[in-house]
Amino acid sequence: MGDFEGRRWRQDFPVRWDEDHYMTRRELAKFLTLGSGLLVGVNLLIAFIGLTGETPAAPARRIAGTGDVEPGGSLLFRYPTIDDPCILVRDASGRFHAFSQVCTHLSCAVVHRPEEQALACPCHKGAFSSSDGRPLAGPPIRPLPRIVVEQRGVDLVATGIEV
Amino acid sequence: METRQQGSILFSAVLLLIATIVVIQLWLVAAAVDALLARQIAVLVPTALASGVLFLASGGLLWYVVSFDRRLRQWGPHG
Repeated sequence: MGDFEGRRWRQDFPVRWDEDHYMTRRELAKFLTLGSGLLVGVNLLIAFIGLTGETPAAPARRIAGTGDVEPGGSLLFRYPTIDDPCILVRDASGRFHAFSQVCTHLSCAVVHRPEEQALACPCHKGAFSSSDGRPLAGPPIRPLPRIVVEQRGVDLVATGIEV
Repeated sequence: METRQQGSILFSAVLLLIATIVVIQLWLVAAAVDALLARQIAVLVPTALASGVLFLASGGLLWYVVSFDRRLRQWGPHG
């Protein structure tokens, strides 16, 4: 063993065979069972967060005027809080649709692609319909949360969120 | 087949089962996170319960194989 000490490869592989740590199958089984218990804890924590977490209130609020968005255009706004980016889309026929701007895959911001009538996520090439928010392409499987928009005179008012 | 060799095979099989259970639990955690983000709250409790049942199963398997091993050591390979 001592013969190898001066060898150059010893610098690249400094761990000695007789000093290596071995894990028995019994230790591995105990380690995996402990991991299994931890995963139960994680699942319980997720359930606790889901059951006790408050759904943010979605009060009615003016988000834009009807003349602020041309047909085929879009406008960014925040609803219901300043931390919730949303996008208002006006289709070619003049109807308004609004969605959360957060991609349901990994939370990148979606952008409007009027020529494709889609909201595209540039991170992983995901796409959602700009008329109803359903996923069209890429990794997302859940639709975008829809913001309920009412037209009150010349104002567009967000009144709620449909997940 | 020798009892010790049978025990070794049993231990390996149980280890594989426990590893499979942990993989299923990881999948359950991923499903629970996905459901939480989608606000599908009804999914969360059954997911946690299923994970708990799987934990009990892995704990039971571990207990069984360790007690088997202990018996083997106590009474010898033909006990």
